[in-house]
Amino acid sequence: MATVRAVLSLSSNGVLTSPLNLSVNASLVVDSGSLIRAKVKGVAADTNDLAIYIANQCSERAYLYIKNLETELENYIYIHNDTDTGLVAKVGGGEFAFIPVSPDKKYEVYGTRVDQMIEYGVFGNDNSANPYGGS
Amino acid sequence: MPTTTASITLSSADLTGDALALTTVSTLTKAGTTTGLDQTTGVGRKTTTSVSQYTLVDKADYADDKAHKVYIKNTSTVATENAVVTVESQLLGRLYAGDWCLLPYNGDQDIKITPSVSTAFTIEFLVIYEA
Repeated sequence: MATVRAVLSLSSNGVLTSPLNLSVNASLVVDSGSLIRAKVKGVAADTNDLAIYIANQCSERAYLYIKNLETELENYIYIHNDTDTGLVAKVGGGEFAFIPVSPDKKYEVYGTRVDQMIEYGVFGNDNSANPYGGS
Repeated sequence: MPTTTASITLSSADLTGDALALTTVSTLTKAGTTTGLDQTTGVGRKTTTSVSQYTLVDKADYADDKAHKVYIKNTSTVATENAVVTVESQLLGRLYAGDWCLLPYNGDQDIKITPSVSTAFTIEFLVIYEA
């Protein structure tokens, strides 16, 4: 097993009269994970989506980091799983998200325009019965 | 105008042979502009004593199609206690004890929590948003 330390800091000098200064960290005990930079071809749900997490790729728990590498704020990356209606989130250009994923769902993304670049990583406990690269 | 920044650091010395050390920073701005998000709920906590699903972030309180951000943390220290996070009908995943997440929020979906226990269970949350 390995440990991935995830630290989030949120700070603001003006959103409240009292400065906002939040810092949290979590030590995630996992055995696998990687960072990937990839192009997203699809611009509509379920057509050329990029799969970023395969159902049952991990067991028990998994965490997704994703950053939209676009510089244009309104070139979004849309995250959804393949069985439920709607979106998990849409990530603006230059923004990131760090979220848990349900291990038994498949997560996919599409973008506002073709070939948007993203950086993402999934960290969890690998399930050898469903390897990400296929078998 | 307020300037709010979010930074995340992911690090691991033992996950791979090449140490993981990622830090990225994002300035939280209104949709399609470089103007900072200017409203917030402040950091709040909600304690429940039921395993029933409840709405943590109500879409009725937020404008649609905006660049809101939501932070959620499971403050439990009991490893098995978790919260299932659902965005309207999309299952997001489980936050176990001490876990947190930061996600963009479009404003048109409820964010719901389903605690795993009926003993006192506390979620910490923050919404930074725009009108």
